[in-house]
Amino acid sequence: MYSRNDTYSNLICAPGKYSELRKVRKFVSTKAELFGFGADEANQIALAVDEACTNLIQHAYHLDKSKQFCVEVETSGRRFVVKILDDGEPFNPLDVNSPNMKKYLKEFRKGGLGIHLMKLVMDDIKYSPSSKSRPQNVLKLIKLLQ
Amino acid sequence: MTEKNKFSIMHRTNGEVDCLHLHGYLDALTAPELESSIDKLIKDGRKMILVNFRNLDYISSAGLGVFMAFIEDLRKSGGDIKLTEMNPKVFSVFDLLGFPMLFDIDKEDESALQKFANGDIKGDV
Repeated sequence: MYSRNDTYSNLICAPGKYSELRKVRKFVSTKAELFGFGADEANQIALAVDEACTNLIQHAYHLDKSKQFCVEVETSGRRFVVKILDDGEPFNPLDVNSPNMKKYLKEFRKGGLGIHLMKLVMDDIKYSPSSKSRPQNVLKLIKLLQ
Repeated sequence: MTEKNKFSIMHRTNGEVDCLHLHGYLDALTAPELESSIDKLIKDGRKMILVNFRNLDYISSAGLGVFMAFIEDLRKSGGDIKLTEMNPKVFSVFDLLGFPMLFDIDKEDESALQKFANGDIKGDV
């Protein structure tokens, strides 16, 4: 698949366990700040990636640490793109409707806020399920540098 | 920060109020620790819980979920969870989702303790 991580790489791969989330956040926020985002925006991008990876570790990998996912940063012009690649069952977060937060809070609902947060902090999100030509699912989280 | 101090909770009591001071980061890995701390307090019959965020650097939806998990039952029993001293980065996550509509989020412990003493509960959603 991909080579292992190194300091200058734009790619980090990790096993499917929550203890990897901190490393992934640090990787993404460092890249975002290097690209020109302020600390708060870099934190928001790292949050979106955390939410996507948490969902993937929980729902697609079922906490199976023998499975690996990768996070790759690509930039062009003002576009900062974080790609999350996984081998789980395809799941398109864009198919999930965002909750009405006023109702959510009033009714003391639980769970399901990760995807909503992702959508709130990123400018665009794209999802491509695995196919014959590409064995991995790819989620792209896109933020534009203002 | 080393792996050992990724997350910790310091617990103090202030009269009827239990104060939990969070350190480190609150995500899917560490949220269960906070959940079990609050669960234990509730099982011990405590219902006024102040959570101080001064030393919390990061929160994800897994962390927010802990507060949603308990707030309804606590309020039904006349208790509450009040949140204090968030840094702007952490507050922005609560704010993005509208949590200040449901939770008292105070700049200082003192004002939250005063609200507990007065029986003030935020619920105007």
